[in-house]
Amino acid sequence: MSESSPEAAVERDDVDARVREYLWGPAADGLDQPYWDGLVAGELRLQRCGNCAEWIWGPQWICGACHTFDPGWAAVEAVGTVYSWSRSHYPFITELADRTPYVTVLVELPAADNRRVLGILTGDDADGVRIGQRVVGHFELDEGATWPLLRWRRDSTEGARS
Amino acid sequence: MSTASLRGAAAVVGVADLHYKRGEAPHGELRMTLEAIVAACADAGMSPRELDGFVSYAGGGHDGAILGAALGVEEVRWSNMMWGGGGGTVAAALNNAAVAIATGQAECVVVFRAMAQEDSGRLGYAKYFYGPHYLAHGVGSPAQVCALRTQRLLEHDGVPREALRALVLAAYRHAQNNPTAAGYGRPLDEEGYESSRMITEPFHLYDCSRESDGAVALVLVSAERAKAMRPDAAYVLAGAQGAPGGYSSIIDNDDLYTSAGFAARPGRSGVADRLWAAAGLGPDDVDVVQVYENFSGPAVAALIDHGLAPAGPSAGEVLTVDNLTAGIGKLPVNTSGGNIADSFVNGMGLAVEAVRQIRGTSTNPVADTHISLFIGGPMAPLVSSTLFGREDTL
Repeated sequence: MSESSPEAAVERDDVDARVREYLWGPAADGLDQPYWDGLVAGELRLQRCGNCAEWIWGPQWICGACHTFDPGWAAVEAVGTVYSWSRSHYPFITELADRTPYVTVLVELPAADNRRVLGILTGDDADGVRIGQRVVGHFELDEGATWPLLRWRRDSTEGARS
Repeated sequence: MSTASLRGAAAVVGVADLHYKRGEAPHGELRMTLEAIVAACADAGMSPRELDGFVSYAGGGHDGAILGAALGVEEVRWSNMMWGGGGGTVAAALNNAAVAIATGQAECVVVFRAMAQEDSGRLGYAKYFYGPHYLAHGVGSPAQVCALRTQRLLEHDGVPREALRALVLAAYRHAQNNPTAAGYGRPLDEEGYESSRMITEPFHLYDCSRESDGAVALVLVSAERAKAMRPDAAYVLAGAQGAPGGYSSIIDNDDLYTSAGFAARPGRSGVADRLWAAAGLGPDDVDVVQVYENFSGPAVAALIDHGLAPAGPSAGEVLTVDNLTAGIGKLPVNTSGGNIADSFVNGMGLAVEAVRQIRGTSTNPVADTHISLFIGGPMAPLVSSTLFGREDTL
């Protein structure tokens, strides 16, 4: 079958949608289910130990600080600063090939004891991304995707503040 | 506490390095592994039937029972796999063989790694090793994880990007003298490097290692036996390994984010410190270095972690093309061309080059090499180093 035929393209889209579902979403063991439920509710939720208040990321069954199991979850304000970033030009993830080049940011969250979370930076000003810039999170549901994702934008008020 | 010292207990007496362009291996991984082992034994002047230990790493196939049976060995006494991807445990595999010999668990151990695209796919391409908390955000390869860390190394720590370029250009310069290197006959200059396409910033094409088909094997025996076998054996002076900060299980929340994983943390000795302490040596004693460079940035960070180059902006004063070149500089690095310009069989070829420098048989020999350092995959979840020395360094 020719890869350029319209039929092939339709089939390819179907495959991509299925793969996108597979690529992200809650783990089968249920550990990170509250994170994904939080995205649906429009909240960023990370683990926070109910016993010792330690912030934990990525998801763990146990608090590494006090060894409490199932440490619990808490919502955190999705506002932070860029800790590092990379702009991917090569389509390492074929299902995201139509987005390349895209910028992934690692964002430090002051409201969660500076725990860091990843996300794609959206917006026209992604070109000027630098470490230390303020970014604000938002929640996007891609076409064909089952679960929304946390994405980031440069804080438009940043210039006014500094 | 310590009962058996590793220092000088074991030595590499045989090496083999077979590599082909990716996807063009004439045989599968098992066949190539056996070929490499037989060739390494021939290099050592011994029969493969004498092997009693087998060590590989990072998900390689074919354990000691399979290889021992195929080779008709008398007995398999040691068959180990070092966990950890990204080449981080390539040196730990050598250390593991030395530990087995030092403690009398085995007498003749071969360390091996084979890769054939037909058997195990293309390593760098969307293997989806990473979980959804990486993939959902567009991070699906080691290149991207290392790029995020390297970007901070440059932008925040102030290591000049030219230091990365120098490492790449030195590798290509070395490859011009190595007829079996993939980069042989393909010199690279600053302009060629800078104009190459971006892969994932800050990495250009040339910042990324090759992927080859092939197999590599190194045979280790006790020091006593090595002395009887050959005068140019490469003795293991020290080995160290470690897993800093949790890495993949804590999704880029590890401490010392721009470290390559060998650095000390407050109150904790790092892999590099433990290596130097065990050897009774320091970075100034090293004559030549082979550093695993899946990507240029982590390799630069590894040189900094080991104290071979200063951190921050001053790194650029040491990491220049000339200073990294054998015969010219004080810190010759990746003298066969390395993973970037020679070949990449999960970094195991670098160990062979570290041994060749001790023997004086490198295509870019560093004069009067006594101390040869091999650094395993930097910025991998678990990292390791091995320090080799000549017999007269013991």
